[in-house]
Amino acid sequence: MKQQSLRSIHRREAIIGWAFVTPQMAGFVIFVLLPLFSVFLYGMQEKNLLFGTTTFIGLTNYGNLFKDPLFIKSLVNTLIFSAGVVPMNLIFSLMLALYLGGGRNGTKFVRSIIFLPVITSGVAWAIVWRYLLQGGTAGPVNWLLAHIGIEGPNWLYAKGWAMASVIVTRVMKNLGMNVLIFMGAVLNMPGDVIEAAQIDGARGWTLFAKIKLPLLMPTVMMVTIVTVIGSMRVFDTIKLMTDGGPEGSTMVMVYYIYHQAFKMFETGYASAIAVTLFLIVLLLTALQWFSRKRISYYES
Amino acid sequence: MKKIHSQGAKRAFAMLLVFGLILGMAFSQGAKESATTPTGPVSLTIATWTSNPDQIALLDSFVQGFAKSKGIEIKANFESIPFGEYNTKLSLELQSAGGPDIFWVLETAAPAFIESGLLAKLDQAMKAYDPEDISADALALWSKAGSVYAIPFSTSPFFILYNKDLFLKAGAKTPDDLIAEGAWNWDTFRSVSKQVKDKTGVWALQTVDGQGYDARVLHNLAPIVRSYGGDFWTDDGKILINKSESVAAVQLFHDMVYVDQSVVPPGNQSDFFSGSAAMTIGQVSRISKLDGASFAWGLAPMPSGPKGEAPVIGQAAIGAHAKGKQVALASELVAYMTNKSSVAAMAGIWPPARKSVLDSEAFLSSNPKVTPSQMAMAVGTSIKTGRVLPSHVKYPQIEVESKMSFDKLWQPNANVQSILNEVAAVYAKYIK
Repeated sequence: MKQQSLRSIHRREAIIGWAFVTPQMAGFVIFVLLPLFSVFLYGMQEKNLLFGTTTFIGLTNYGNLFKDPLFIKSLVNTLIFSAGVVPMNLIFSLMLALYLGGGRNGTKFVRSIIFLPVITSGVAWAIVWRYLLQGGTAGPVNWLLAHIGIEGPNWLYAKGWAMASVIVTRVMKNLGMNVLIFMGAVLNMPGDVIEAAQIDGARGWTLFAKIKLPLLMPTVMMVTIVTVIGSMRVFDTIKLMTDGGPEGSTMVMVYYIYHQAFKMFETGYASAIAVTLFLIVLLLTALQWFSRKRISYYES
Repeated sequence: MKKIHSQGAKRAFAMLLVFGLILGMAFSQGAKESATTPTGPVSLTIATWTSNPDQIALLDSFVQGFAKSKGIEIKANFESIPFGEYNTKLSLELQSAGGPDIFWVLETAAPAFIESGLLAKLDQAMKAYDPEDISADALALWSKAGSVYAIPFSTSPFFILYNKDLFLKAGAKTPDDLIAEGAWNWDTFRSVSKQVKDKTGVWALQTVDGQGYDARVLHNLAPIVRSYGGDFWTDDGKILINKSESVAAVQLFHDMVYVDQSVVPPGNQSDFFSGSAAMTIGQVSRISKLDGASFAWGLAPMPSGPKGEAPVIGQAAIGAHAKGKQVALASELVAYMTNKSSVAAMAGIWPPARKSVLDSEAFLSSNPKVTPSQMAMAVGTSIKTGRVLPSHVKYPQIEVESKMSFDKLWQPNANVQSILNEVAAVYAKYIK
């Protein structure tokens, strides 16, 4: 009798629980899961947004990807962008977190300054930098360089410089968030371990490399994964600063997806690129995840 | 105890039932709306790329005039989509259930939109409003197999807007001076541009909307290229962008940017309307940006080239959504919005394609900021002799791919011929 009553309570609670989560779940399924699965389906279709036509073509879109020079270019550009953004972001944010975590004077002010771009709108950030990086001496950056005898390039219209410019502006935009995460980890480092190492004579680089970095490694792993994923999904900076140019030198994969889907109206092909990007990000994340035991002593 | 439990479960079921009912009602309401004839005011959505309140009010006045003539009530919802995102957002909306009933169409998108079946045929609706009055040339882009799919409401030639004060400061002859001397051509244009830049330090020319190296590269180069006897491609599939005439024209512009350094270069945001450039290439609709300008300004047709004058026209049309809920009514409204009286009311902003309006005295004084002689010289004549930009059903692909090659032009040491050969190769992929 008692058992039956307990079962009844559980059933009742389960029903009430489902009643509460159903609206949220319905939204999630309709607006997140279904579109996600649709992308996989669309990737196997020749689907034109303007003409509204759909034909199932199996894996043809995926076969065409590697015959498409623009796709190859966008893939290479994405890797270049990530290879620039991720190390720069990690190194600077870790350095700043270690500095700011030391409790020196003025750190609150510096912390605010560094975090300011994070809460700034990405669109406003990109538009302001587009203005600052104008060619000739019209742009404030080149104007400053001219005062120290350097003739600045046309940052956003010169191949090479354009990619470098979007990398640096992107790093500056997102640095503050990683600094904040690293600072949390820095402030939580066990003081006794560091103190013991210092008593044993560890200083400077040795203290950082042998003691602090291993202690911070789980956070470094997490931040690396998040930053890699974020860098591969870059869109707003490219759209507003370079429009993928010059000569497609900043055409990254997400921007190419946008071009194919919404400029050329080839939704099926764009979906195939989106799935490919998803698989690349998944692979990179898995590689980092499974290599954590070798890198982070916490995981061994 | 058990009774209390079962009451709780009942409540939970009741909540789920209510949620389900709400969803069901929401969906059934949608179905009901589409299945029955509305009894109240008819709601029509009109998509445009203007967000200017005066222009929207003008368009709404046509809607209300039409509603009155039909004896019905129409509530027009104007949806302003930014120009740069217009085709993208519009095509998304047109494929969904709630797309606009009436929408503006860009000239470069015309063949693709007609081919897509999204535009309703307007032949029947046009019959009431003297279709013969609209020039056949102006309708050509918007027709297929003898049927009209959109009606041009704006046939607007490009011309030069110039800052008189800067020309005076430079001691240079103004475009109007050169026109009076019969010497308004690309060579004199280049020399006065250099003079203005050298004497004042201010850029001589800003490209169309400052986008002449990017989204408006064809608008920027077409007036020079065509007046040199070249072109991008022709309707019958000939690719001319790498022919000697086109190369010479593009070389002239390239030299102005990099040798003379008189043109606002790529990446520089100097703007004519704020006084940071002495000239720009504009259309009648841009003149409103000169309200409250701190300088005296003038207006002249585009310079002529070795093959004479070759005015370039920017066209925009209005069409009805073929898959909309009110196709017949929307088609009639489109025809009404482009009838003689509506077109005459719009003429000061969007020059018309109707011959009767173009030839009227009222048209010449339709824009209070433009003198009748300027209107006649830079707009009226150019509409009659000008041509629209080339278009193609695969234009979106052509635009994206050719931009990669055009980008190579904007370097000081660019080899114009070889880059235009690359552009021609891209065109050849799509234009047969």
